Amino acid sequence: MIDPIRVAVKVAASGLEAQSRRMLIVSENLANASSTGNTPGADPYMRKTVSFQAAMDEAMGAKLVKIDRVDVDRKPFRVEYDPGHPAADVNGNVKLPNVDMLVELADIRETNRSYEANLQVVKQARSMMSMTIDLLRST
Amino acid sequence: MLDGIGRFPSVGTGSQYGLAQPTPVAPTPIPQTAPVRTEPLPTDFGTVLGQMTLDAISTLRASEQTAVAGVRGQATAQQVVEAVMDAEQTLQTAIAIRDKVVASYLEISRMAI
Repeated sequence: MIDPIRVAVKVAASGLEAQSRRMLIVSENLANASSTGNTPGADPYMRKTVSFQAAMDEAMGAKLVKIDRVDVDRKPFRVEYDPGHPAADVNGNVKLPNVDMLVELADIRETNRSYEANLQVVKQARSMMSMTIDLLRST
Repeated sequence: MLDGIGRFPSVGTGSQYGLAQPTPVAPTPIPQTAPVRTEPLPTDFGTVLGQMTLDAISTLRASEQTAVAGVRGQATAQQVVEAVMDAEQTLQTAIAIRDKVVASYLEISRMAI
């Protein structure tokens, strides 16, 4: 039998990892917010989205979280008139990524909060474990 | 003589306290020490302490390996912290149990004859 508190720590650790991966995806979106194609009419960077999934861990008998898949956002691109740009089409329009800064920043904040919550689980579980062990110490 | 202490159930394998389990760190291929113990419960006090120490050492070693992998950039910060915390917890448990058992031993030796 595995100690449920230890399992809780493992589950929280999987949450930490999932949120780190999400942070990576969001940072890619932010960094590529103005990455265009380099041939006339080419598609620019497409915003990436991330979805989570519960994954059963047979050994521990608990559901961990993992990244289900990283997809691309099908939202239409922003179009700007800039005839001098290498990616401009015959009409002089350039397709810009469908990344919305505001959405990405909100996503970062949410990632941060979620990470924080998982860290809190680790902290509390640790404290519960220590309190229990301390029972042996009291004289 | 005094082998009753050795039969103290929770000292036996230590598996209740997770002493026998190595720290599983999923994604990075870190070699796992401490195979799952299948031998019968030791009844001798010295053997019990020895086994507990071995279990603690193997957990510590696993955490050390994860820490080194983290320094090399092969393990994430979370994995390193998790492994080190696991080792700390194991060591704490082992020390607490050892203190308790040694204390009870001393208590017996102080008995008026």
